[in-house]
Amino acid sequence: MSAGTSLGFPAATPLQAGETVLLPERIGDLTGLGEFGLAGELFAAFIAAFIVANIMMAMTGVAGPWAKRKITAAFTDRIAVNHLGPGGIFIIVADAVRLLSKENIIPEHADRPAYDLAPIVIAGSALLGFAVIPMGSGIHLADPEVGLAFVFAVAGIASIGLVMAGYASGNKYSMLGGLRAVAQNIAYEIPLVVTGLSVVLFAGSLRMSEIVAVQNETVLFTIPGLEWAVPAWYALVNPFAFVLFLIANFAEVGRNPFDMPEAPAELIAGYQTEYSSVQFVLVYLGEFLHIFLGGAIIATIFLGGPAGPGPAELGIVWFLLKIWAVFFLTQWLRSAIPRVRIDHLIEIGWKGLLVLSFANLGLTAAIVWVIA
Amino acid sequence: MCVGFEAPNVTEMNDWIAIGALALVGLLIPLGMMAVSYLIRPSVPETSKRATYESGEVPTGGTRVRFNIQYYMVALLFLVFDIETVLLFPWAVVYLDALESDAVSLFEIMGPMVVFVAILLLGLGWAWRNGAVQWAQTPRQVEADRDRP
Repeated sequence: MSAGTSLGFPAATPLQAGETVLLPERIGDLTGLGEFGLAGELFAAFIAAFIVANIMMAMTGVAGPWAKRKITAAFTDRIAVNHLGPGGIFIIVADAVRLLSKENIIPEHADRPAYDLAPIVIAGSALLGFAVIPMGSGIHLADPEVGLAFVFAVAGIASIGLVMAGYASGNKYSMLGGLRAVAQNIAYEIPLVVTGLSVVLFAGSLRMSEIVAVQNETVLFTIPGLEWAVPAWYALVNPFAFVLFLIANFAEVGRNPFDMPEAPAELIAGYQTEYSSVQFVLVYLGEFLHIFLGGAIIATIFLGGPAGPGPAELGIVWFLLKIWAVFFLTQWLRSAIPRVRIDHLIEIGWKGLLVLSFANLGLTAAIVWVIA
Repeated sequence: MCVGFEAPNVTEMNDWIAIGALALVGLLIPLGMMAVSYLIRPSVPETSKRATYESGEVPTGGTRVRFNIQYYMVALLFLVFDIETVLLFPWAVVYLDALESDAVSLFEIMGPMVVFVAILLLGLGWAWRNGAVQWAQTPRQVEADRDRP
């Protein structure tokens, strides 16, 4: 939708053929809300945003109280939750009720209102990132020209939430956890964005739908004997960038082996030490949303987005499989890899990944030059 | 492979309205959860309950502790490199188009960016040599620093 990016509210213009139909537009079309001008557009956008937010909340609900426990238990040869429902799946409901009905204890030295705002910032910023992610099956909220820059910028807001939580809790552990979180996020933000830029060199656009389309329209190679044409997903075109991006992403969302900010053995729980009740839920939820947002970015720019074998209507299934694969990888690393030390973490970031990401950018520029 | 749906009769809508709507939903969901929790949670205030958690000990001193100067050093370094990545964005977007057009030579495309990145990497090398990205020093390094004129 290149024509609709003017700052003023566009009049009802018919869509050009070949453009992607976004979720608010489909809802506007199906319910007739598209006929009501700006009010209808706002309402359709709100419904679409509610759907997208709830898909991701549902994923987080499954991941946090249930899947995480089950996966870790499988790695460490235990059973984990198994009393409520098949495979203990109803623990999700029980945990939601349990956590929300806990007393909210606010520490006496808390710096309000920063203390109260931090959980909202952490959870809200993670949700906002999903606005530009094409999830397949027509579930794509918005497709601005600056899509990739937007999603990096929004994911970066979480750092502010983390430092707010750490500073405002009035606890030494929280303070140190918040500082570490920011030092880590800023050290790995640069390699993350620069590696993401190497994808832009291939695609020539920041628009998410175009990045996905370019990956799936190009055929990398065909497997002889079979009828398979392997699409040019950037993870296959440039595996080096893919690995760099994965590592930087794990550091960015603070997962093992980079879970320094909340290293339980030395910092209790880092910036979330003093949070209880619903505020703890929001901080925890925000972390899981960030893992999924990282997975969604990886799926979109390296794994062909919602594309996969079968009809295009199955897109959402492939998309969810890909982000769950990234989630599974984080849980695998959590069970398998020891935590790195804070000094190693900063040195890996600034001396290793940063230099490698610039090398990758130069290498990719050279490859694109040879191909073009 | 078709990812979206084609339907030329659909009214086109503004992207930023949809993003704003998700920002609103992203605010309303946490607030809604807080409201639900407010309705069902107990409140039994006690002063000792609100004490800062320090592994069960009586908390000592304030929280505004001194911390490692390196946090400040890497933040400064980040500012420089973050602005650099912002300036790399437009170059990356036009790179493919510029290569395919005959109007610009390869030198014109690559030259400025190579110089720009090289200057910043030189800066990183300088910061590296001066220990800005080194978190901790071994006793021997501290010794060597003290002896340096």
